[in-house]
Amino acid sequence: VLEQVFAPTSLDEALGLMSVAGTRPLAGGTDLVVSERVGRRPFPKALVNLAGLDELRGIDQADDALAVGAMCSYEELLRRERVAGDFSALSDAAAMVGSPATRHSGTLGGNLANGSPAMDSGSPLLVLGARVELASQRGRRVLDVDQFLIGPGETALGPDELLVSVTLPHLPRRGSAYIRLEYRRAMEIAVVGAAAAVVLGPDGRVADLAIALTAVAPRCVRVDGLGALACGQAPSAALIDVCAERSLAAVRAIDDVRASASYRRAMVPVIVRRALRRALDRAPTGTSATIWQTEGAAGDPAPAA
Amino acid sequence: MSAGAVATEVAAPYCRDLSRFYWRTSPNWACLFVPGPKAAVAAVQGLSWFGPQSVAARLVRASQLARGLAHGKLLWPVDAEQTQTLLGRQLLKRQDAAAKLTGEAIYAADVQLPGMLHAKLLFPAVPFARIKRIDTSAAKRLLGVHAVVTQADMPALLHGGLIADRTLFADKIVRFEGEIIAAVAAESPRIAAEACALIEVDYEPLEQVLDAEAALSPDAPLVHPRWEEYDAHDDVIRAGNSCAYVNIINGDVEEGFGEADVVVEGRYRTDLSHPVAIEPHAVIAQWQGPHVTIWSSSQVPYAARAAVAKTLQMSEGNVRVIVPHLGGGFGGKCEAHFEPHVAALARAATRPVRLVLTRRETFIASDMNRHPITMEFKTGVRRDGTLTAHSARLVLDTGAYAGHGPTIAECATLTAAGPYRVPNVRIEAHAVYTSRTPAGSTRAPSGPQVCWGLEQHMDILAERIGLDPVELRRRNIVGPGDHGPTGAVLTSVGAKECLDRALELMAVDDELPDDEAIGVACGAWQGGMHFPSDCTMRMNLDGTASLGTGAQENGSGAVMGLAILAAEQLGLEPEDVTVQYQDTTLASYDAGSLGSQTTFNNGRAVVAAAEKIATRLKELAADELEASPVDMRLSRGRVHLAGDHTSGVAIKDVVGRARVAGEVIATHAAPPPPLMPANFGGSCAGRVVFPATSPPSFFCHAARVRVDRETGVVRIRKVVACHDVGKVLNILGANGQVEGGVAHALGMAISEGVQTGTDGRQRETHLTDYKLLTSTDVPEVVVEFVEPAGLPEDGGPHGSKGVGEVPVMGTAAAVANAIANAVGVRVRQLPMTAERVWAAMQEQDSA
Repeated sequence: VLEQVFAPTSLDEALGLMSVAGTRPLAGGTDLVVSERVGRRPFPKALVNLAGLDELRGIDQADDALAVGAMCSYEELLRRERVAGDFSALSDAAAMVGSPATRHSGTLGGNLANGSPAMDSGSPLLVLGARVELASQRGRRVLDVDQFLIGPGETALGPDELLVSVTLPHLPRRGSAYIRLEYRRAMEIAVVGAAAAVVLGPDGRVADLAIALTAVAPRCVRVDGLGALACGQAPSAALIDVCAERSLAAVRAIDDVRASASYRRAMVPVIVRRALRRALDRAPTGTSATIWQTEGAAGDPAPAA
Repeated sequence: MSAGAVATEVAAPYCRDLSRFYWRTSPNWACLFVPGPKAAVAAVQGLSWFGPQSVAARLVRASQLARGLAHGKLLWPVDAEQTQTLLGRQLLKRQDAAAKLTGEAIYAADVQLPGMLHAKLLFPAVPFARIKRIDTSAAKRLLGVHAVVTQADMPALLHGGLIADRTLFADKIVRFEGEIIAAVAAESPRIAAEACALIEVDYEPLEQVLDAEAALSPDAPLVHPRWEEYDAHDDVIRAGNSCAYVNIINGDVEEGFGEADVVVEGRYRTDLSHPVAIEPHAVIAQWQGPHVTIWSSSQVPYAARAAVAKTLQMSEGNVRVIVPHLGGGFGGKCEAHFEPHVAALARAATRPVRLVLTRRETFIASDMNRHPITMEFKTGVRRDGTLTAHSARLVLDTGAYAGHGPTIAECATLTAAGPYRVPNVRIEAHAVYTSRTPAGSTRAPSGPQVCWGLEQHMDILAERIGLDPVELRRRNIVGPGDHGPTGAVLTSVGAKECLDRALELMAVDDELPDDEAIGVACGAWQGGMHFPSDCTMRMNLDGTASLGTGAQENGSGAVMGLAILAAEQLGLEPEDVTVQYQDTTLASYDAGSLGSQTTFNNGRAVVAAAEKIATRLKELAADELEASPVDMRLSRGRVHLAGDHTSGVAIKDVVGRARVAGEVIATHAAPPPPLMPANFGGSCAGRVVFPATSPPSFFCHAARVRVDRETGVVRIRKVVACHDVGKVLNILGANGQVEGGVAHALGMAISEGVQTGTDGRQRETHLTDYKLLTSTDVPEVVVEFVEPAGLPEDGGPHGSKGVGEVPVMGTAAAVANAIANAVGVRVRQLPMTAERVWAAMQEQDSA
């Protein structure tokens, strides 16, 4: 039963409160409150409301990286042109989350720390090579998002730790995209999601390529080995097909109310192809745009040429 | 000087009472709106005639127009006999709109009473089980708990609509996951929940009965082993788990199949879906002596009152049911739900008690889900498209208790017979007990499911004889003079006109993209159930009228629209008629918001009452004017001579002088409902409730969809909905019904459905995974009403038919046919989710 809600005004104060057993952080509350209401997860004894911590807000836009405060809302991510331009997959995901109300309340840090396998920010952050900074009274540490995500509802966060920020390295000539299979166009949870990021060399050939999958495994997962496989190749439909098929190796889908495991599995190559095509279309150099037609999100009408 | 002040100053000399006029100005335009649709239009048009001028000049012009109108100098000729023509117009000011828009409207869950306690219901840990023991002592001892009620505290009494098969609280057996075992009243919702957790119940699990078809087998376990001992309507044919068998039999289907060139069989099934009113069920009860007042989110306050009186063994007169504003119902709030439980709890606690359900509880406990139906059709057709025989077998999973199941089995047979001319018909339906949450009267119960199966079947028939599916329908669809499936002669039929018009409105100039296609579906619904309703009406001293009705406003505006019908007869504006409703002790009687009957029956009562008042007003005015009452007319708030609006006296003066003379101008009307058509032939459909109410409302829906071939995701691009609902009385309300109905049906088509686990529990009991469509998913909906050549004489007021349910019927079927036309596969389970569409395509690929 929830007994106390603390409202610290500084990170130090918040970390002090977090060091007390039984306290949990409250970010946007869009998962925490709903989970309690539907009886999925009771409230902890005490909540530490992070809304008053200016240290966790804002976006720091350096040339070589983007540092996003954990309490940054989706709405704020969407407002930044830099996010849409250089980190498109994250921007795609932010635009899909819930409803306008959810996007104003929900935060990037809250979404990550919640550890849902269906979270929309996970796969984009994985392909963009994001790192998270965690803080506690014991000190600070930095982890890859891949190390941070562990399983359903499980992350590397210690009970006394707070997620402070997410840092995304900027790479020139990188295009990225996140595509979600969805049954309706708003208020939706991913049935299958795929993020793709491609870095093209000056010659238009692939310098690096990453794909991550949402809602088909116990956590958002990066597909292994694609960078080495694609490096040096010219973008082509064949390369996209190979990557799409390779992605199945990372799938550990289950049956649930949203889809059967077999449907999820069958959809992975479809959604990966779409994400990869769009990422290639967005990569600043190269000839990719001419060899395939851009497609919309799963099920959406193709945009007019 | 502000624009408002200019308006006031300039317009005042021309207008008797400026407060009755509405003005609007901006730098570019200004106008005065005069009450009454015609006058308002005139003023707006008037402004557009003279371009940019000063605000003052434009206001002068507008007020001149207004003055002319106010004094009855119309700018166009009007039939002197037909002075009041509000019918079919937009209702400008809906009486409940302002309160709802500002958030001031009170809903049942908002009601707070001094000393009020909070209720929580205990649902079973094992959904289908024998109860070995219930121990409430620990719960009763919890601090803050005031009462715990179980069946042991209640009269030993079975109740139910057509079959008395249940008790208020579980009596030795729980038959579904939402069966109520106990109710607790405590000082907070949390304490009530804690107390529920302290109630000890020992269960002995019973073998689940989850497959309705298997439940019909003679060796299936019985959901109600003692079904033969239940009191039931004499004409409900029961046997074991089949709590109702219904048939329609015309001619000889075997002979008809012999005459066919092609015989097509098809099987379809639908998942359970929910009505999903946004407002959850809420009930508050407060006792004073022998008298209980209940605030409830009910669609049927009189049925709720009767159920409380019956189950708590008290007089109906001692039960008062108040329904504050209702946040939607869609059938889910039909029948008494929790009123008796909360009343019993409040009596035991000797304090007022409030119960508000969670979303999950409305899904498992409100037992008005849309029936899962398995359908098998077999139809014979000749190469020229003539239907020779049509048979159908329907199995309706009605859940743990019969409720409305037997009635809905009748509705289902009528829909399954189709709106087509077929000489030989054999339709059979069973409503079947299972150990699931009971199904019941969700909007057009059984209609959308059966239409979805039948209209796909029709498309397949057309395909098999190489005929255009629209042409097949054109050649067979019923027209005036044809017989309905149970023999009633159809007089007012706009079915073919709906079909033709829907196709015109859906026509596209260019060829559709490869992944898009159009589908159509036709049908009829026996809306406008024939029930008695009454109405009281009184003239007020200011010339306005008060109308008292027992009709239940569910949010659709049907009750608010009654003001139009009264105003039409009384020569008033709709806003001059106040509707008094929401309370069983004040208002007249009505069956409630169900069966598309609010306007149909209450409208007739309102028109009858208003006619009586009008007659009296004419008599009094005629006396005063030394004229004959037959020459008197009512319009614009005056009683005047026919053909001269400026003559005569103001209604308020007639009312005032009558009051001085000792007369209150008031009346009561209770016109009998039209007779139900007789049941013909050997069918048993209609013996219980539904012989085929007349006149049916007809429709054709057309849907344009896009199917993502790789994922199976269906997006709806456009829906056209053409309806014959007879005379349209309130166009805003009718459009709203159709637009809402289409949105509701699109959800049913592609996303709304519930799976039941092997434990008998629904798997999607919250709106995260029970996917209602959002505003971004619902496409352009084109609504048109087709008035049939002959308006029904035995219908609602002014020749209207029911409109509340029928709009929900055809859309899923049209979408199904569009999907098939786009990707060449049939999806035979509703909802047609992305995965099911994809699976159907996979099967086709591998075949």
